[in-house]
Amino acid sequence: MTTQPIVQLQNLSKTIRGKQLIQQLNIDLYPGQITGFLGPNGAGKTTTIRMMTGLMHPTEGTVIIDGLSLQENYEEAISKVGVIVENPEMYKFMTGYKNLLHFARMHKNVTKERIEEVVRQVGLEKRIHEKVSTYSLGMRQRLGLAQALLHRPKFLILDEPTNGLDPAGIREFRMYLRKIAAEDGVSVFVSSHLLSEIELMCDRVAVIQNGKLIDIRDINIETSSFYYIEAAPKDDVAIHLQKFDYNFTVENNGFVVEIKKEDIPKLITQFVNAEIQLFAVQPHQKTLEDQFLEMTGGGQIAKANSK
Amino acid sequence: MLKLIQNEWMKLWHKKGTWAMVALLILAIVGPGIMMKYYETKTAEDITWQENEQQVINSYKDMLKGDDVSEEDKKYFEEQIAISEYRLANDVPSQSEGSVASFMSFASNMLSLVTLFTVILAASIVSSEFSTGTIKMLLTRPMSRAKILTSKLLTTFVFGLFLIAVNLVVSALVGFILFGGASGVELEMVNGQVVEKAVWNDLAYHYLLSGGDFVMSTLFAFLVGSVFRSSSLAIGLTMFLSFMGGMIVMFLSKYEIVKYIWLTHSNLTQYESGNLMIEGITMPFSLTILAIYAVLFLAISYMSFMKRDVTA
Repeated sequence: MTTQPIVQLQNLSKTIRGKQLIQQLNIDLYPGQITGFLGPNGAGKTTTIRMMTGLMHPTEGTVIIDGLSLQENYEEAISKVGVIVENPEMYKFMTGYKNLLHFARMHKNVTKERIEEVVRQVGLEKRIHEKVSTYSLGMRQRLGLAQALLHRPKFLILDEPTNGLDPAGIREFRMYLRKIAAEDGVSVFVSSHLLSEIELMCDRVAVIQNGKLIDIRDINIETSSFYYIEAAPKDDVAIHLQKFDYNFTVENNGFVVEIKKEDIPKLITQFVNAEIQLFAVQPHQKTLEDQFLEMTGGGQIAKANSK
Repeated sequence: MLKLIQNEWMKLWHKKGTWAMVALLILAIVGPGIMMKYYETKTAEDITWQENEQQVINSYKDMLKGDDVSEEDKKYFEEQIAISEYRLANDVPSQSEGSVASFMSFASNMLSLVTLFTVILAASIVSSEFSTGTIKMLLTRPMSRAKILTSKLLTTFVFGLFLIAVNLVVSALVGFILFGGASGVELEMVNGQVVEKAVWNDLAYHYLLSGGDFVMSTLFAFLVGSVFRSSSLAIGLTMFLSFMGGMIVMFLSKYEIVKYIWLTHSNLTQYESGNLMIEGITMPFSLTILAIYAVLFLAISYMSFMKRDVTA
């Protein structure tokens, strides 16, 4: 990546009452890139996001947005950020439009035309003049997205953004994020539990556990290829695979074998010669979910690290 | 900053509670006004005012004859007798039917209601943002936390001043409509002389003095509301102190420290009535103490609001 990062977390740490929630987090986010933020419950995702938005003060380290330190130059730095933290809480006793007007007044240069443009973009124009208390969760999410986009931020932080959206809404939302990332060079940082969603939406994932960054990698680039092979009898298959030094794991009724594509015909010939009954050979993609569980080691909630 | 106040003002008037407060305040002025009008006219029909004044003189004279009359009471009775005799001698009827000014000075008691409503707003204007979670949306904007808190504080006071204005205007209007036609002069004793009472000055003075309790209660509620983020705690605690303040001061009156707590001073109307909470305090001293506490309350509010991590 040759471009300058728009957001940099540098040695970000947070300690609350002796418990180290976030330890020395270093992440760079680049323009036009959608980065997924994953971690089991209690890993420190929300704490990190709160520090990136100025809601919490880091114990150590800094958040740099477009070259400005969030701690020192708060107003200027945060003006480049659009935020939805968890559920977008709105003033329920006011209409959607009044809510947007309210937030628009807190930014420079957000015109009435811009508000209407954003309302159209999120598809709320029919209901915008109704009270937010009458909105469904999905509509509130759309309104939440609208308020985050009002001031054309360079950097968008979204915490669980698709929560409550219908499938069409999620799809639309994904397309929209891709569009602003590609066309306007907006850097997007999305935390979500919906791994399949992250997989479809993001270019990159950062995974944290116990307050530490354990992995950051690009999606959709397979480093090694796997094939799923179903054959019987199983014992013979296992012996065979061992003989030829293939790494494999047993899964359901078959085997997941790490093997190059060009080696497949050779392996099949060997199976046929050994009179092994072959039912299926198909490419096997590890889902993000598999990778995630592999990296975080199951679903237990992380114990907070005591100092 | 103006835009922030505009925002707070918009949110304020979108809440039904705000309208209820204003309606209640108007009702609390109009209702008693109507009751007074009809009650007063009924009793005043039977006897002339001269007879009434004579009755007043006689009853005070009877009371003066009693054995256990204190010096203060004695002085008060004598003053009242002198005023009534002055009325008879100079043909100056009292305002039996009430007047605009007397009704307005009655309605100025509703300032405690104004204080109560302002306290409710002061207590909830910060804490409600936390309880609804909207604080996250508010604090992730290019506006420093200090500006946000200032806009909320100013909005609270603007609302309080608005209620005071409502009180003033409504009581003047109601007074004028109900008692506008009534004649009469209020008298009082000053340095042994019977003089016409400066009702308008007194009224203005009363409004001004009521400001002490208004400002201190509001700042205190604002402090508790923004530090503990609980509007009920803030309202409860402020109300408790305003009801029990006198008791607390009394309990502590033995100690020197009582002079230095704001509760002793916040009710400035004590200088109007002359019944001081404790001896040996003066208006400038009270104002100084109140100013120190006001700064202290504000400092704590701002420090806590700006330093704190938002987890709502």
